Order: sequence, then structure tokens, then C-alpha cells
Amino acid sequence: MSEQTAQETVGTAPSDDAVPPEPAEQQRLTEDAVEAAATERAEKLSTAPKADDGIAVPSLGVLGMLRWTWRQLTSMRIALVLLFLLSLAAIPGSILPQRSIDPTKVLTFYQTHKTWAPILDRLQLFDVFESVWFGAIYCLLFVSLIGCIVPRSWAHFKAMRANPPAAPRNLKRLPVHASFSTTADADEVLELAAQRLRRRRFKTVRGKDRSGGWVSSEKGFMRETGNLLFHLSLIGILVGVALGHFFGFKGAVLVTEGSGFADTVTSYDSLTLGPGVGAQDLPNFSFVLNKFSATYQTSGDQFAQPRTFDAYVNFKSSPQAKAKKVDVQVNVPLTVNGTNVFLEGHGYSPVVEVKDGQGHVLFNGPQIFLEQDEYFDSSGAIKAPSSIKGGTDLGFQGWFLPDAVIQSGAMPASIFPAAYNPMLILSAYSGDLNVNGGADQSVYSLDTTDMKQLNVKAKGAGAAAGNALELKAGQTATLPNNQGSITFVGVRQWAQFNIAYDPGQQVVLPAAILAVLGLIGSLGLRRRRIWVRVSEQADGTRLVEVAGLARTEGATPTAEVTQTAQALAAAARQPVSDGASA
Amino acid sequence: MSINQNFAHYSNLFIALALVAYAAAFFAYCGEWAFGTNSRFGRSVAALGAEDKAEAAETAKVGRQAAAPAVEAVNASDGGNGVTVLTRSVAEEEEPTIAGGNLRAEILGRFAVMATFIGFAFHASGVLCRGLAAHRVPWANMYEFSCAASLAMSFAYLTLVVLRKKVRWMGLPVTGIVLLTLGIAYTLLYTDAEELVPALHSYWLYIHVTAAVISTGAFGVATVATILYLLKSANEEGSLRRLNNTFDRLPSSVALDRTAYRVIAFIFPLWTFAIMAGAIWAEKAWGRYWGWDPKETWSFIVWVFYAAYLHARATHGWKGKAAAYIALIAFACVLFNYFGVNTLLTGKHSYAGL
Repeated sequence: MSEQTAQETVGTAPSDDAVPPEPAEQQRLTEDAVEAAATERAEKLSTAPKADDGIAVPSLGVLGMLRWTWRQLTSMRIALVLLFLLSLAAIPGSILPQRSIDPTKVLTFYQTHKTWAPILDRLQLFDVFESVWFGAIYCLLFVSLIGCIVPRSWAHFKAMRANPPAAPRNLKRLPVHASFSTTADADEVLELAAQRLRRRRFKTVRGKDRSGGWVSSEKGFMRETGNLLFHLSLIGILVGVALGHFFGFKGAVLVTEGSGFADTVTSYDSLTLGPGVGAQDLPNFSFVLNKFSATYQTSGDQFAQPRTFDAYVNFKSSPQAKAKKVDVQVNVPLTVNGTNVFLEGHGYSPVVEVKDGQGHVLFNGPQIFLEQDEYFDSSGAIKAPSSIKGGTDLGFQGWFLPDAVIQSGAMPASIFPAAYNPMLILSAYSGDLNVNGGADQSVYSLDTTDMKQLNVKAKGAGAAAGNALELKAGQTATLPNNQGSITFVGVRQWAQFNIAYDPGQQVVLPAAILAVLGLIGSLGLRRRRIWVRVSEQADGTRLVEVAGLARTEGATPTAEVTQTAQALAAAARQPVSDGASA
Repeated sequence: MSINQNFAHYSNLFIALALVAYAAAFFAYCGEWAFGTNSRFGRSVAALGAEDKAEAAETAKVGRQAAAPAVEAVNASDGGNGVTVLTRSVAEEEEPTIAGGNLRAEILGRFAVMATFIGFAFHASGVLCRGLAAHRVPWANMYEFSCAASLAMSFAYLTLVVLRKKVRWMGLPVTGIVLLTLGIAYTLLYTDAEELVPALHSYWLYIHVTAAVISTGAFGVATVATILYLLKSANEEGSLRRLNNTFDRLPSSVALDRTAYRVIAFIFPLWTFAIMAGAIWAEKAWGRYWGWDPKETWSFIVWVFYAAYLHARATHGWKGKAAAYIALIAFACVLFNYFGVNTLLTGKHSYAGL
């Protein structure tokens, strides 16, 4: 129902439609009920689309069906149902592992739930927030929102330009009413009232009817404006998210101290480019991680919790630029032309030298191990392919412990995240690493199908340690049958950097701010009408009545009406000169 | 900066004292309800006392009348300057009180309010000392968050008391919830005052978490009103007759429903802001403003449910009870977002000491 027709209704038949019933008839009607009734009427007056009454499928052919569907979709009831569906649909995304958040967890889930995992995967339950059904719900919700908001905005625009409706004939029936008698001229009182209400930013009009002159005013249009602003901003947020997805990219890279990173597609460990971004669009910066330092709590309840992380990098914004020293911290990213480099994680890279039986160096350098718990027990693999084609490769896999403690009857374990007493515990293999064969390999584990485990069990070592080497920093172990040796040279740290570019933020942030402002307006402002009516009385005096009606629940303008009446009474007693204020 | 152990110690002491004071307040509120003349217990006590049975029955009858369904009245009052003001309102009959004129109940009630104030003073000192001990805002882990959110709730209630709003009926549920929250915090969630993990080294901790603390506390208050609304309106429709006397001492269901709505309407923009501030912080710390981390997902679910509540309240056929049930589900999600997500699910919102 449009504002226009609503006003006409009020204007032509004010006594029946726009005011609450007589108290005598409705004795049990409480103030709340009156207000609720008033609000309900206000809702009817408002530009909100009318709620559909009952769902009856009409036999109107294709066009009619489409029309019916559209009306259903844009109704509040369907919007509510879609809101519930959206929140229900989000729940599995928080409970099941998600590819977008942690793909390795999905793999682990696959291994532990062999029957269920493929079924869940087919239902896109590992990609909930990218799934067809989640997308369908929010697309429908936004269609519903647009279908509701666009006509409503237009109606509100018209309502803001239109005049408030004529004063009802019997103002006494309104929830708040104040009156006094005066000898002052009716026109002057009405003019004073209109001035006062205009000064208070009421939209005000004057009029005349059989019973005398009236002033009609309304305030609080910003409530609906805020409401519409909020909903339109939601569309803005969606557009921003889409833009960011299309024109943005995000990647991650693990960099060991002493090594560097150049911003090219191949340097990333993982990289997601938006459809609108090509490899040539990556900003051409580079950096070298000089040093990573971490400090930890050494006592108390929060023993071993990290306290500071600093990644000291030498940074070049372009290949020609001069290197700059920057300290990247968790909440202090490095920013290059809108692309941000975030410090995301850290760990250890033991430096190892592997030689073959002839003393040729097969591998020498740091190898990234991934942390598995809060004390940084880290797992990884060292691959040392033979220097001769067809020769025997050496491979090691196992654990790095930053602060190892030998326990009787159990594997050595780390007791603190800092590298106070680093140790490598490795199983050794010889054979073919398959590094040149087809399938992609993880750098963190060995493909041991064509390899044979070597017997490196230390003499006197407990059964718990298994068939593994235990090396402290600086120690060398010789492999049996003159197959070579491995030296644990030292320890470096690695840092994980997330690199992200999201141009959509330029849209999302302002839209979100507008959404909050709109919400404050929409929930905090009150919309109300105040009428003033002056009528002649039998004794020759004039009766001035002021009355108010809330168009928002619980917003009866009692104080405003009372104050207006008092101010008018005070002003009407005095001789009114030109332009006097009330 | 190192931890100031003195302040840390005082903080723990104050929280313990606050627990004692709140417990005293809680039992005194219970006593107020129990001894209030309108209660069956209160009536039987009165009947056994010096007064004869007839008088007790008389008192009960008067009490019943006072709480009879409100009648609309046109209240005329002199507005000054010869202005007559008419307001249509619930006849401001004697506002139902919990004590119902019973002196013992009244004394207990006043004592309860006083004890709540004392508990609040200890509670606030405890939270303050915690902040002074750690040189930071004192809501950075689950223990501290629980202390702060229950403080916010206690503060909201006492503010209304100070403003002379008629909210004594909230005293029992509010102290009950505060006592429970603080008790859980003190016994199960306790962790020493310590410095922060690097992820929390940001001024957004002040903005984002403060908004979340206040929102959580206020949603709690709204939930109390919502539950009482559902019970009261069931009673007004004729169920739970045995508890008539108890319900008579609560405000009308319409008033309860409106209280719940106002609190939610007031706090929903703040919750929206809390999520938004969190997103800005997430962008700064993790490189994306939204990543469907479990905490983000559940905050979103909470947001959607309260949004649904606000829509439902403006939709025919959903007003009243249906909307109230939505608000209850929404608060269940708030609780899960806090306890469930922190303990059961792993995500980026896991910091030291939960």
C-alpha cells in the first residue's frame, strides 16, 4: 500500500480510521494495546509492503505465476525463512573442516572418515561458503531484499516530499492529548504552533475544515531513511565482496631466515588469483627474511605462550628500488601499493648436510619442518637425491624438537617452543626418492615405496625411540654399510607470510560503516505526528488542542505534546507581537 | 612490562568478595520473593503468625485486586498554564511490588539491592585491578571476558535502579546469572594475569572486545526479560495458575516484551559494530576481513537471528511469542559462540587460557 493512498484514507475519513476506539467501548484496552494498534496503523500507513495473507496459488498462467512468485519472494515471511536458512547453512561450515580455511584438515578428515567424507564432499560440506546451496540462499535473500527495498525507497522518497495528513477531527481519541482555552486569535495560535514545530524540524502544514484550523506535523523520517540505508548498504557489502573476489588475490609463502621471496607466481606455496587478475598483475616486490625472533612466557598458567613475534625483513618494493629494513609483526603488516604482507605463522628449519658414501654432498641447507603442537615438536623430511643419475638416493623423515628432553620409555619430546636444546630424530632410507617421477610430492614427507629403511638404531637406545637417529646440533651420524652420513649443522627459523590484495575493501568498509549508521537511525529514531487544532467554543473563547501519535512502537510523544501545549498557552496569554517566539 | 603481582592478587581477592556479596544479594532476593505477602509461603507464614486467618485472607485478596489486569484510563493532569493533559495509559495502579507490603520482605529486598551494590563495587575493583596488574584492558581471555561481561550486566541493572526505574523484579535473575557467570569464571576458567599473545597486540582489542562484552551482557538482560515475558503471558492466558501470586508481582507481559525489544534494538547496532570492528582487526592481523572462522561464523549466526527477531516483531503472525522464541534461540547461539566455539571448535579465536 503506498503512502499516497494511505494519506488519502486518513485525510478523507480521519475519525474512523486514524484514531483509537472510544475508551468506553474498549475499556480493557491498555496503553500498550492502544500504542500497538497505533503502530499497526502506522505500519499500514507506512511504505512497507503489506504482509501477504495466506498463500493461495492463483491460476493466472505463466505471468501470474511469476508475479505470485515475486510477491512471495519479496514478502517479509519468506525473508525471515531465508534468514533462518542462512544461519542454519552456516553451521556445518563451523563444525566440519573447510578447504578455504585449512585444506590439510580436510585431508585428515578424509583419512579418518573413509565412508562419510566422499558423501559430505559431494554435498559441498567441505566448501560450505562457496557451495551452490549457500550461494543460492544468499542470492535469494538479496533478491528478496532488493525486491522489497527498491519500491520502498521510492515510496519513502515520495512520502518525504508529501505533506503530513490532515488533522483527525477528534483529537481527544489520540494516545496523548493536551488542551487549553484562550481568547487569543485562532490564526495567531496556529501560526505560533506551526513555527514552533518547524523549528523543531517537524514537517508542518496548516489547513482548515468545518471545526476550525489545524496544524499537522510529522518528524522522524530519518528512521525509514536509516532502515533503507542499512539494507542498501548490505547490497554494497555484497558488491564489495564480489569485487574483492574478482580482482583480488591471496597467497602464502614460508620463508626461512636467510632466504628471500620474490613476488612471482612460482614463488608462492599457495596462491589464489581472482578471475580478473593475471600473473602479470602481481606487484613486483621482493624481500629477504634476515631474522625471525619470538619470545615466550617462561612460567605460570600461560607457560610457553608466545609474547612477541618479529620478522625482520629487507624489503624492495620493486627490483630497482633500494632495500628497506622492516619489522613485520602480527598486527603490523607490510603494505606495498595496496598489497599487504602479513606475518601468519612460524616454525623451525633445521640445517642439515647429507653426504653419500664417497663424501659427495647430496644436500646442504635448511629444511622447513611443520610444527605439530604448542611446544613445536615439528615434523618434516629431508630428501637427498644422488648426484649421479641412477645412483642411490638418501631420504630422512622424522621430528625436530626445539627443546628436547629424553624420557625413559617414551619418544624424546620438546618441553618449550624456543630452540634451547634442539634435536633431530630421523628415520633413514635409501633407494629411489621418485623425485623425478610423475606425481607431485609433498616436501614434508617421503615417498618410501621404492626405498628401504636403514638400520640406524643407536646402541643402547630404548625401544620407544624406534629405529631412528638422534642428533643434537653439531653432531654427525654415519649411515650403515658406508652409505653416507648426515650432520645436524644448526637451526634457523621460518616465518609464514600471507600476501593479500583485496580492492573490494574500498567498497566493503564504507558500506559497513553506512550500514551501522543506518541501523542506529532505524532502531534509535522515533517517528511521530503532532497535530494542533483550534476551534471556537460556545462562550466565545477558543479551544486549543494538541495531540500526538506514535508511528513507532512505544514512542508516544507525551512530553512533546505537553510542552507544545504549555508553550502555546504561555504565548497566547501575552499580547502577540510580530514574529514573537513561543 | 611485567605483571604487577600485587594488583593481580588484589584482583582475585575482590572477585572472591564480589562472589560472596552477590551470593548474599541472591539469597536476599529469594527471601524477598518468598516472604512477600502475595506468595503462598508468605501467606502461610502470615496465617501462622499473630494475625488471624481472616486478616491474612484479606491481605491476599487486596493483593490480588491490586494486580488485577490493568484497565485503560484517561489520566487527566494539570500541565500548568491552564493546560489539561490527557494520556491514555495503564491505570497507574499500585505498581506490583515483590514485597507486597510485607515488612520482612521489604527489608530483605532493600538489603538485596545494597548487597548487589557492594558486590558490584568489589566486582568492578576486581576487574580494574586485573587491568592494572597486566597493564592492559582486562578482557583478553575467557576468565576476564566472563568477569567483564557479568560486570556489564550488573552495571546495566544497577543503572536502572539508580534511575529509579521499576526493575526490582530483575534483581533475582540478574544476580543469579551474574553469580553463575562469575562462579564459572572463578572456578573453571581462571587463569593468571599475564601479558598478551602477539595476535592481541592491537588497540582493536579495546574496541572490538569491549563492544562484544557490552553486547553479550545486554543480550543476557534481554533474555531474562524474554523468558519472563513468555512465562507471564502464559500465565495471563491461564496456565501456571499455581504461580499466579508470583506472576502478579511481575510487570505485564506487554511491558516485559517491550523491555526485551528495547534492549535488543538498542544493542543490535553495537553488536553489528563489534562484528565490523572484528573484521577490520582481522584484516589487519590475518590479511582478510572475513574468513568464516568458527567465531566469525557464529557471530554471524547470532547477528542473523537477532535480525530475524527484529523483522519478526514487525511481521504479522510472528509478533509476540514467535519473535520471543527467536530471541531465545539467538541467545543460545550467543552462549554457544562463547562457550562452545572456545572449547569445542578450533579456530583463530583461540588464545591463551581459552
